[in-house]
Amino acid sequence: MTWLSSEEWVVLGLSARVAVCCAAAVAIPGIACGWILARTRFPGKSLVDAALHAPLVMPPVVTGYLLLMLLGREGILGGVLYRHFGISVAFTWKAAVVASAVMAFPLMVRAVRVAIEMTDPKLDEAARCLGATPLRTFLTVTLPLARPGIMAGLILAFARSLGEFGATIVFAGNIQGETRTLPLAVYSLMQSTGGDAAVLRLVMISILLSFGALLFSELLCRRYARSGRGLD
Amino acid sequence: MLHLSATLTRGSFQFQAECGLSDPITGIIGASGSGKTTLLHILAGLVRPDSGRITLDDAVLFDSDLGIMVPPHQRRLGLVFQDCRLFPHLSVAGNLSYGERLLPPGERRFTSQAIIDLLELEAVLHHRPAQLSGGQAQRVAVGRALLASPRMLLLDEPLASLDWRLKNQIMPFLKRIRDVTRIPMLYVSHDSTEILDLTDRVVVFEDGKVIGAGPVLDIIGDPRVLRQLRLQGLVNILPLTTLSHDSAGGLTHLRLRPTAADSRTPAIISGPLLDTHTSGDIQAMLRPEDIALAGSDIKGISIQNQVPGRVVRLIHAPDRDLCVVDIGIPLVVEISPNAARTLGLTEGNPVWCLFKSSALRYLEQLSDVSHTPLKGTELR
Repeated sequence: MTWLSSEEWVVLGLSARVAVCCAAAVAIPGIACGWILARTRFPGKSLVDAALHAPLVMPPVVTGYLLLMLLGREGILGGVLYRHFGISVAFTWKAAVVASAVMAFPLMVRAVRVAIEMTDPKLDEAARCLGATPLRTFLTVTLPLARPGIMAGLILAFARSLGEFGATIVFAGNIQGETRTLPLAVYSLMQSTGGDAAVLRLVMISILLSFGALLFSELLCRRYARSGRGLD
Repeated sequence: MLHLSATLTRGSFQFQAECGLSDPITGIIGASGSGKTTLLHILAGLVRPDSGRITLDDAVLFDSDLGIMVPPHQRRLGLVFQDCRLFPHLSVAGNLSYGERLLPPGERRFTSQAIIDLLELEAVLHHRPAQLSGGQAQRVAVGRALLASPRMLLLDEPLASLDWRLKNQIMPFLKRIRDVTRIPMLYVSHDSTEILDLTDRVVVFEDGKVIGAGPVLDIIGDPRVLRQLRLQGLVNILPLTTLSHDSAGGLTHLRLRPTAADSRTPAIISGPLLDTHTSGDIQAMLRPEDIALAGSDIKGISIQNQVPGRVVRLIHAPDRDLCVVDIGIPLVVEISPNAARTLGLTEGNPVWCLFKSSALRYLEQLSDVSHTPLKGTELR
């Protein structure tokens, strides 16, 4: 492929890797939190709900800064990790994953929660009466019925990660080949002279990827809705 | 043997029940909101009573004093919901095998094929629940519960959402289950006809409390029980065998099948004309208020049925009296207190029961289902 430079291919590959890892990282905690918010009652639930949604409303830069405070080499948790295990997260591609996962998490939880709230808890009762444990009921009834919502949540997380900028640049930096994802690359090219054509190319790719993800999620939902009605 | 004593308060609704159930089928009768469904949900473990104790045979399912609450999935009580609650993402086959697959093979009481045959579900096995008719969905729900090999089947108004034509199609299946599987059943309904068609053992609920339990004719003397039974449509169920069809006369002649050994010649009864191809056994419903009593048989009268019997019981209710007449089966007849006086009815009196042929309502059209009795079918 000649229409993209090798540098741009690196940016694309890295973005894809970070986005896939981000979606994978939010999957299980997102489903768990979504289920808890949809099906359980406990004191302080609205507080937990608000805390989970915080990254949606906070400036991403602030989120990135808080992540740095927490997971940086001098951070509360990051310090322990670095001193005892030699693990350093900040300013690596893993930090880009963490940053975008934190930003995407509320979207995932929201999608899962709505999907689980839409499934009928009476079906859970039916499964329990047929001998299914609560876990089995969740895996065989709730989860399959909420699948379209969960898939939509994962695609949203994937797309959110592709577009993540603020938290990533603070927590992961803008390191060529390590943390320079699509939006960061666009930003860097805009700072340099003569990058207009490259900017345009990357912008086009960004738009295509975003719309592609949305279209894909829409298709999945439709196909699932059809098979759910038994017409497939 | 199921023993239950439980109390539960939910807002203004107070549930308080104490009963022991040991019959193959017990009907739970009561108005909507009288606690019937609550009873089943408490038994199934979906609702936790405030206090009480539930035991099934030797197993304790709930004991508030001992802090025992066996979760629903360990109770093995097959609850069939009024709204079926089939899993929409699974095929009929997937729904049927859901509970079965959770059991070790050694604990499965039926093969899936036996249940599919019993409920005639072969043709819809690969359908999705959304494609099923109401009657089919209810059969799948019952089959799914049976395949989980329950210790008891709890049926929550399984026919309530069906019209009478579909009810007549499902009822034979329920009788088959009763006769073939021999799993004890609790059958909840607000319609006495359904229940009395299946069993005469009932528990009557009113405002969250049990007001009577036992054979209908034993508890009918209680004014409150009688009131509830009447509200829910107290009817006589006549077991009959078709004899002949008289198309010109517009009648079908049937023979009464007495419940107990009876030395008398079984009564011959005329009912509305059935499809002339029908034969075999059939049940018909006869309302107590549609029967008249006479001291002797009457000549020159249009009423087709005059059945001799003997008064076995008189029950005085505030407005109407009930008279139980033994005609081979106990027949409940409603009369005014004045009629009881003028006829001089006393227990042991011979009387004639008069009712028009059109007063009989057949409970199940003899469909293909009742034409093919299963092998090994046993009546309890």
